[in-house]
Amino acid sequence: MLKGFGNFLLKELKELIRDPKILLGMIIVPLIMFPVLGAVMSFSVQSAKEAAGKTTLLILNQDTGPNSTQFIAYLNNSLSVYVTNATMIDDAVPQMATYNATELAEIPQDFSVNVSSGKAAQVRFYSIFSGGGITESVGSSIVDSLVGQFNRAVAPDVIVPEQGAIIKGKPENVDPRALSSLMISQAIALPITILILLTYSMQIAATSVAMEKEEKTLETVLTLPMDRFSILMGKLSGSIIVAGVGAVAYMIGFNYYMGSLTGLSQTGATPDLASLGLVPSLFGYLLLGTSLFITLLSALALAVILSAFAEDVRSAQSLVSYIYPLIFIPSLVLMYVDVNVLPVWLKAVLYAIPFSQPIIASKAVILGDYLTAGLGIVYVVGFTLVIMYVASRLFATEKILTAKLKLRGLRKRQGTSNEET
Amino acid sequence: MSAAVEARSVAKVFGSIHALDGLSFSVRPGEIFGLIGPNGAGKTTALRIVSTLLLPTLGRVEVFGADVVNRADEVRRFITYLPEEAGAYRNLSGWEYLEFMGSFAAKNKDEIREMVRQGAEICGLGDRLKDRAKTYSKGMKRRLLVARALMSKPKLAILDEPTSGLDVLQSYRVRTIIKRFVQDHGVTILLSSHNMLEVEYLCNRVALLNRGKIVAGGKPQELKEKFESPNLEEVFAKVVGFA
Repeated sequence: MLKGFGNFLLKELKELIRDPKILLGMIIVPLIMFPVLGAVMSFSVQSAKEAAGKTTLLILNQDTGPNSTQFIAYLNNSLSVYVTNATMIDDAVPQMATYNATELAEIPQDFSVNVSSGKAAQVRFYSIFSGGGITESVGSSIVDSLVGQFNRAVAPDVIVPEQGAIIKGKPENVDPRALSSLMISQAIALPITILILLTYSMQIAATSVAMEKEEKTLETVLTLPMDRFSILMGKLSGSIIVAGVGAVAYMIGFNYYMGSLTGLSQTGATPDLASLGLVPSLFGYLLLGTSLFITLLSALALAVILSAFAEDVRSAQSLVSYIYPLIFIPSLVLMYVDVNVLPVWLKAVLYAIPFSQPIIASKAVILGDYLTAGLGIVYVVGFTLVIMYVASRLFATEKILTAKLKLRGLRKRQGTSNEET
Repeated sequence: MSAAVEARSVAKVFGSIHALDGLSFSVRPGEIFGLIGPNGAGKTTALRIVSTLLLPTLGRVEVFGADVVNRADEVRRFITYLPEEAGAYRNLSGWEYLEFMGSFAAKNKDEIREMVRQGAEICGLGDRLKDRAKTYSKGMKRRLLVARALMSKPKLAILDEPTSGLDVLQSYRVRTIIKRFVQDHGVTILLSSHNMLEVEYLCNRVALLNRGKIVAGGKPQELKEKFESPNLEEVFAKVVGFA
């Protein structure tokens, strides 16, 4: 039997559980974070389903026979259906906004003739593509299932639905579900990279400040004839460079991983995003890079501020981990959910978290929505300026040495010199 | 000529702790001035205020005429500070550490080289300077740090327990170097120490601190005569009513 094991284990558990940093970081934060994440995800899926129930379909009917009228009446039982008087699909697309329609159907001239003679009648359905997300294709799935029900009621496979997407106001012959799943797979890489970059660089920045405290080099540095803001900027820049190298290595590895997955699932039916205009322009990349850089700077400055309250590396890393839910939740939510289907208050919360902005920008620039990306940058710049100011004040005063976080409420604050005076 | 350090009625309060309570002292240029006292007397807090790390709650401190609060940047150009529990960067070699520190005081690369040469001579670490600081013993690290504080020949070197962690021979060596530096380069030293032998050997004048106040001050010899004591240890005990 292991002599003394029980006593030692008990001591370990007491030490670990009584450490408020471990209790918060390892137990309470995950206990809160994952239920919150789950609630947001299920709420957004629910919202999407409700929105799908209210799907509005605009129909361009080029057929004059009775079968198309019957088909439209059938769809009208489950959806809000409007029939446009436009003659061309390109003319019908701008009318979708007037009817608040998310789906558009084009019934061809020979529809009734084909149905009457028992031939397959093709109907092309278009869904508005708005940026991807697991809820993106719910509307087209509803229409698809209604067509299936109609087929079962009338004759098997009498109507053959063909899927299309309206991308940036232009109808394209691409399946919106295939497009959505491709966009999701593409859209996962960037949020994960941002997530890794932010958390990794925050750890580096916090460790770098805490290491100076732990190794007792900070006091010496603070008395050197150099601008204290330079010390702060030196620490932030060092962390950005190291984290940047890490992110590049990660991107290369992740790209290889995604490439091998895509290679396995190549069917030849994968939409070409570049030809559909769904890759960011040079200006878009510039906006995305700016958004990412500013957000990174604010995250690092926040890590430096938090680490100023820590006495050693372990405490600093624990303190920084309290920020992680603010990075993880928006990253994971925005990775899968179209922000537009979320209720206003939840959307406001997501937009208010500065770490959401690069992910929002990554989707916006793909769709050419530079205003959203630009406004996000302005917001994060404001946030960063505030955080940088606080960080620079911390470095400019004695607070960088004397600040300590008291987790037990109203315990009297004592300066660091208490025992050394 | 202005004093090297002029502290007037300095108080420092941390929450409910009064670390310094009306501390006043003056350090003349070119002298070695010692702050001595027991743990908690306020020595480190006083040195941290002089070195611009802490702000006085009340009172005023000037270093060569520059206020440590309003002209802290200027003060930092005059001083070097050696904290009692200082460390060196673990992943830099001793040589790189001296170069890094020298780069803030030197005007060009030649000056840095000269400072590092001087630092290497002071610490006497020889080839071990090429090794990373994490491989150094406590004594080696302290010698490196003392060398760093002196090699730039600052106008004022503030040394908190300069021989902390050193053995008898290393302490003797460091004390000799400090004394020689003052003679050769006109460096002013403000130091704190528990070691009364060290203080008697090194300091031109001392101030005895107790509970944040100066309870006696002067030349070591004068204090011994005044309190009819064979050493400063007994002087201190008599002053605070312990003996």
